[in-house]
Amino acid sequence: MGDIFVVVEHRKGEVRDITYEMLFKAGQLCREYSHNLTAVILAGHDESFLDDIAPKADRGIVYEDESLKHFNGDLYRDILKGLIEEHRPFLTLAGHTSWGMDLGPALSAKTGYPLATDCVDILVENDRPVVIRQIFSGKVFSRVSFKESEGYLVSVRPGSFLPEDIEARKGEVIKNELPADLPVPRKNFVEFVDTAAGDVDISQADLLVSIGRGIGDEDNIEELKNLANTMGGTLSCSRPIVDKNWLPKYHQVGTSGKSVKPKVYLAFGISGAFQHVAGITAAGTVIAVNKDKKAPIFRVADYGVVDDLFNVVNALKEKLNA
Amino acid sequence: MNIVVCVKRVPLTQEVDLEIDGTGKDVKKDALAYVVNDWDNYAIEEAVLLQEKFGGTATAITIGTEDDEEVLRRALAVGADRAIRIDPGDLELDGFVISKLLAGVIKDLEYDLVLTGVQADDDNCGMVGIMLAEHLGLSHAAVVTGVEPEGDEATIKVELEGGMDEVSKIPFPALLSIQTGINEPRYVSIMGIRKAGKKELKVLEVADLNLTEDDLTPRTVVEEVFLPPETEGAEIIEGDASTVAEEIIRILTEKGVMV
Amino acid sequence: MITLTHPAAVTYLGLPGYVFAWLIFVSGLSIFSYIIYRRYLLIRSGKPDPRFSDTGKRVLDLIVYGFIQKRQPRYLWAGLIHIMIFWGFVVLGLRSIDLVSQGLSLPFLRPLTQTGFGPFYDTFKDIFELIVLGACLWAILRRALVKHERYEGSHTFEAYFVLCLISFLMITDMFYEGSMLLLNKSQETFLPASRLAALVLSDSSPRLLTGTHIWSYWLHLITFFFFLNFLPLGKHFHIITALPNVFLRKPDKGAIKPAQWGVEDIDELETLGVEKFEDFTWKHILDFYTCTECGRCSDNCPAHITGRPLSPKMLTLKLRDHGYHKVPVFGSADREGAKEDEKDDALPMIGGLISRDEIWSCTTCGACEEECPVFIEYIDKIIDMRRHLIETAQNPKTFNQVLMHFEKTGNPFGKPATKRADWVKELEDTDVRVLKEGDEVDVLYFVDSYGSYDPAAQAIAAAIVKGLNSAGIDFGILGPLEKDSGHQVRRMGEEGLFQLLVEENMETLSSVRFKSIITTDPHALNTLKKDYPGDFEVFHYTQFFQSLVETGQLRPAKSPDTDDIYTYHDPCYLGRHNGIYNEPRQLLGSIPGLKLVEMERSRDRSFCCGGGDIVLWHEIEQEEIRMASMRIQMAKEAGANVIVTACPFCFIHFEDAIKTDGLENDLRVVDLMKLFVSTLA
Ligand SMILES: Cc1cc2nc3c(=O)[nH]c(=O)nc-3n(C[C@H](O)[C@H](O)[C@H](O)COP(=O)(O)OP(=O)(O)OC[C@H]3O[C@@H](n4cnc5c(N)ncnc54)[C@H](O)[C@@H]3O)c2cc1C
Ligand SMILES: Cc1cc2nc3c(=O)[nH]c(=O)nc-3n(C[C@H](O)[C@H](O)[C@H](O)COP(=O)(O)OP(=O)(O)OC[C@H]3O[C@@H](n4cnc5c(N)ncnc54)[C@H](O)[C@@H]3O)c2cc1C
Ligand code: SF4
Ligand code: SF4
Repeated sequence: MGDIFVVVEHRKGEVRDITYEMLFKAGQLCREYSHNLTAVILAGHDESFLDDIAPKADRGIVYEDESLKHFNGDLYRDILKGLIEEHRPFLTLAGHTSWGMDLGPALSAKTGYPLATDCVDILVENDRPVVIRQIFSGKVFSRVSFKESEGYLVSVRPGSFLPEDIEARKGEVIKNELPADLPVPRKNFVEFVDTAAGDVDISQADLLVSIGRGIGDEDNIEELKNLANTMGGTLSCSRPIVDKNWLPKYHQVGTSGKSVKPKVYLAFGISGAFQHVAGITAAGTVIAVNKDKKAPIFRVADYGVVDDLFNVVNALKEKLNA
Repeated sequence: MNIVVCVKRVPLTQEVDLEIDGTGKDVKKDALAYVVNDWDNYAIEEAVLLQEKFGGTATAITIGTEDDEEVLRRALAVGADRAIRIDPGDLELDGFVISKLLAGVIKDLEYDLVLTGVQADDDNCGMVGIMLAEHLGLSHAAVVTGVEPEGDEATIKVELEGGMDEVSKIPFPALLSIQTGINEPRYVSIMGIRKAGKKELKVLEVADLNLTEDDLTPRTVVEEVFLPPETEGAEIIEGDASTVAEEIIRILTEKGVMV
Repeated sequence: MITLTHPAAVTYLGLPGYVFAWLIFVSGLSIFSYIIYRRYLLIRSGKPDPRFSDTGKRVLDLIVYGFIQKRQPRYLWAGLIHIMIFWGFVVLGLRSIDLVSQGLSLPFLRPLTQTGFGPFYDTFKDIFELIVLGACLWAILRRALVKHERYEGSHTFEAYFVLCLISFLMITDMFYEGSMLLLNKSQETFLPASRLAALVLSDSSPRLLTGTHIWSYWLHLITFFFFLNFLPLGKHFHIITALPNVFLRKPDKGAIKPAQWGVEDIDELETLGVEKFEDFTWKHILDFYTCTECGRCSDNCPAHITGRPLSPKMLTLKLRDHGYHKVPVFGSADREGAKEDEKDDALPMIGGLISRDEIWSCTTCGACEEECPVFIEYIDKIIDMRRHLIETAQNPKTFNQVLMHFEKTGNPFGKPATKRADWVKELEDTDVRVLKEGDEVDVLYFVDSYGSYDPAAQAIAAAIVKGLNSAGIDFGILGPLEKDSGHQVRRMGEEGLFQLLVEENMETLSSVRFKSIITTDPHALNTLKKDYPGDFEVFHYTQFFQSLVETGQLRPAKSPDTDDIYTYHDPCYLGRHNGIYNEPRQLLGSIPGLKLVEMERSRDRSFCCGGGDIVLWHEIEQEEIRMASMRIQMAKEAGANVIVTACPFCFIHFEDAIKTDGLENDLRVVDLMKLFVSTLA
């Protein structure tokens, strides 16, 4: 029986979804293997989310300091190192996010605990964790075990564990003082910049809402644009949309447009011409909505919806606004 | 400004139906074409852009066999001044060992900045860069989409999830793991690559690096690799629009793309 | 009757006229030699270009295209005018030489003029003087009244000026002779031009007549030498360079010049392509001198017509002026050259004077070269400029991945080489042999990348193998051994990569035995035939199947069942670049009951579909309308509802344009092979 640590990720006073996902998975493991679930919170003073997190763990270990308000690699690493050396948790989970990608390997190098990154599942075999990872952009899965160690580090891919409901736990709160020997941080936060509002770069987007001639009329562009915004996605399109000057050229996906690699490509009214789909070979999951069930796009899509795209768009809007 | 950039050669697999090899621990690689890891293309370009602007040298390093020297020659063609290959022999490698080997070489070089890719296209680990930074005792940042040096520090941009960038300042020497899109990598022609063959390319053996047994022991072991269940064409989502919408939202959330 | 003294024999300011004639002659010729020398310096700075092989053919071309001016009447009226003036020059050249020699008191032509030839020639030249004068007037009026779009950017003032100069030369001679006729009434020869002048002068006093006689002579002489020196300064340099340029024309259409002539291994070169003016070959510099600014190239250039930023004529004019700046007629070449180089930093020749998109706009369709009356070359120059863009990473970023795929997988899509023959698996009841090293077949079918991987082109390939099987041909494909032919790669300017593909394919081709090669694609046909070092017999499928029909091995039996009207689109690389116009039409003609109409632009005036290379990965934003869109309109105007193509790219472009323009109900496109196979019994 040991501890499972979950490093809470938050931004701008809000807990990131990945945190709940880790708490959910850690909770399952704790139940199965009688571990204790500890949420580790490094945050500024009086963050509003402290009360929300603690009850989802057996205990919440909290460090409060203005220098911790935003993620800081140097401070997070050293505080966590101290904490891990003190408690020697069996497993420490962090998100495989931009910040987690900075924290995980650093922590592993500092503590000597082995790290597996970007894991989509965590199992325990013979008292050691075994993780499932996706390699080759998800084309192949791998089962990875660790060299024997006191504790293990795992970074979790966002979206891998969908929290149905997280059971309530003891929720003991321990406020720790900052360690005295903390280094002066080298990297320093300046500001956040909202990039979604700025230039459109479809080749960098994680979610593309892509439209083809099936949308019928220029007036419908706005509606689809709104949908994309609500979803946090970026609008892209097939060539005829650019031809008609409904969208500028840099939205175009395909051989004479851009090659894209979103995690999800949501195609509305695109037939799936060869020149178009050549631009989405690196896309993770393709969802196609087309009223023609024989449209070639269904050959390359992972999910298909055979329906009028506007039915689906309206239903999505309703759900998202609800 | 002296820059070291770490590059890896990876198989090109986008259009390939991968198969599992006889050991069950790797994919069949004999028929695959190999290219520079895409993230490393951006890292090389960034190194050369910075070097063109601020002077100094750019050094490209890879760990790999003689075939892997191709990625070094490409880096040289882009504009790197010299290249180093570390021959791992029959060493078992994982992200940790790779980072130790790289540290073993880089610690003796003169540099202000070390650049790596965010992750490699094949194993998608995304750990070598930051581990390396820790071995070298460098300040670091991951998923960097902008670098602007001023004096002995740089203003950098880190790409966060959900359309947000974090701007910070970081002192040199530093290690940055570079995200795609930070620049537009230039094309290097076959002729350019051949010409670059004249530049210095040094080969080091693991024995040259003074590493301990522990440094060379992998921390993780791939037990098996397997293919996800095959799907033939699209899985059609049935039901009325509302059911469909729910299902789409579920998929989007599962893939972690909805904010 | 007054005894007429030759104007050169008259004394002026106490000196005999001969002195002045010699003065004019010597200074005129010296300045001319100096100007030509300066122009020669620039030519000499160019790169090597072997142009003296096959002299017999060259002489023949010189006669047909230089003297008979075969290409001129492609623009009927302008062509006729030009032919008249050109022949006037040939005929009247002798007359001018005679006049000059008289002035120099070196009458070396006298033995000729004093024979029976003399009076005959006099009549002849008089007729031509009238013809030329008429042609000049006509030309001036044409230019003034009808503003032809193709003259935009040409030097119009110079054109008028030169037409006036020529007319003036005619008129001075007419008056010289006309005044003589009146003064010297014994002449019996029929001299229509001189008589005309005499008519004008008929009431003049003898004094006036003598004055006219003398001053017409001198004006003629001065104008003649002025004209001679004026020529190399402007577009009328072509009067001097056109014939040499025709003689030195490129012998083989479709082929691309090597990185540098005389260099086998490109590794020996420091750089590839054209960056500076001196990187053009000397012949390409001669091209710049020779352009007549007639605008026929641009008038037929699909890139220009669709609003892309390329006009071949303007490309030549800009580069010519740039070259003249580098080595001006007056001033030191080196110093001026250096200054120009400094200026070059601000505005590089490639990427500045000539914009990148100008260079990427060309589809290498060859329409310009087909039209140019003086055989100016464009494609090689454009490819050379692209080579520089590629070597200096100034290419559109979309090329990066495509070229990487070509290199790594042997096709532009990045599809695994192992799947190159997968399309065969999907064919029902059709056997296709995938060759291995050491195999032997009669016919090697070179499918190339599009046929192997693109669904639209795969269907054409499927029709081809079906046809081959029906005729019982022993054939095979190379499958995974085949690499892309490299046609596109070379035309994108990536010469090193092209060489790599050639090397790999040559190795494969020499590892199997075959009698001939057939291709799906006119581009592959062109490249295997012209860009490869091998000496293969390569046929396009249209040629091959046409010969099967001719020998009776195949016979279309079914008529197309509707009353469709077909029109055939000549693919650039089948037609213009390889002269294959008839075979496809004969093949169509063999289909019973098929109604074929021709588009106005057909055969060597065919209009490019958009092309099979750059356009696939880089679209030119200024383009106002797609080439394919224009082309399908032409098919509609011809009254057709089915466009037949014989090239996968034409097919892809037209299919797309028909959809994009919403013409699905009016038009459809079909590949000739698919049509042909569907009519086999
Ligand atoms: C050289 C070249 C380069 C090209 N490059 C590109 C490129 O880079 N990118 C690109 O995209 N294309 C490119 N194309 C064009 C390409 O061939 C196709 O023409 C184009 O992709 C078709 O776009 P589409 O799918 O939007 O339109 P269509 O093919 O017309 O498809 C519209 C689809 O919408 C469906 N639909 C209609 N109404 C509805 C509705 N109410 N609800 C649901 N579904 C509906 C229809 O069933 C149909 O499948 C290129 C073509 C050429 C020749
Ligand atoms: C069982 C097993 C067998 C393996 N066999 C081999 C093998 O035979 N050969 C082999 O090369 N690897 C082998 N590996 C190592 C593995 O392929 C990865 O190199 C390693 O896990 C690092 O992860 P990554 O490549 O995903 O790096 P990431 O952390 O995703 O890479 C990030 C960045 O690190 C740098 N980087 C990564 N790898 C290198 C490198 N090799 N040289 C220079 N810079 C680099 C690059 O800048 C890259 O962008 C093996 C690993 C295991 C577990
Ligand atoms: S080859 Fe064709 S596109 Fe290119 S310049 Fe000539 S006419 Fe224009
Ligand atoms: S290049 Fe030829 S066709 Fe074009 S303007 Fe000059 S002379 Fe005329």
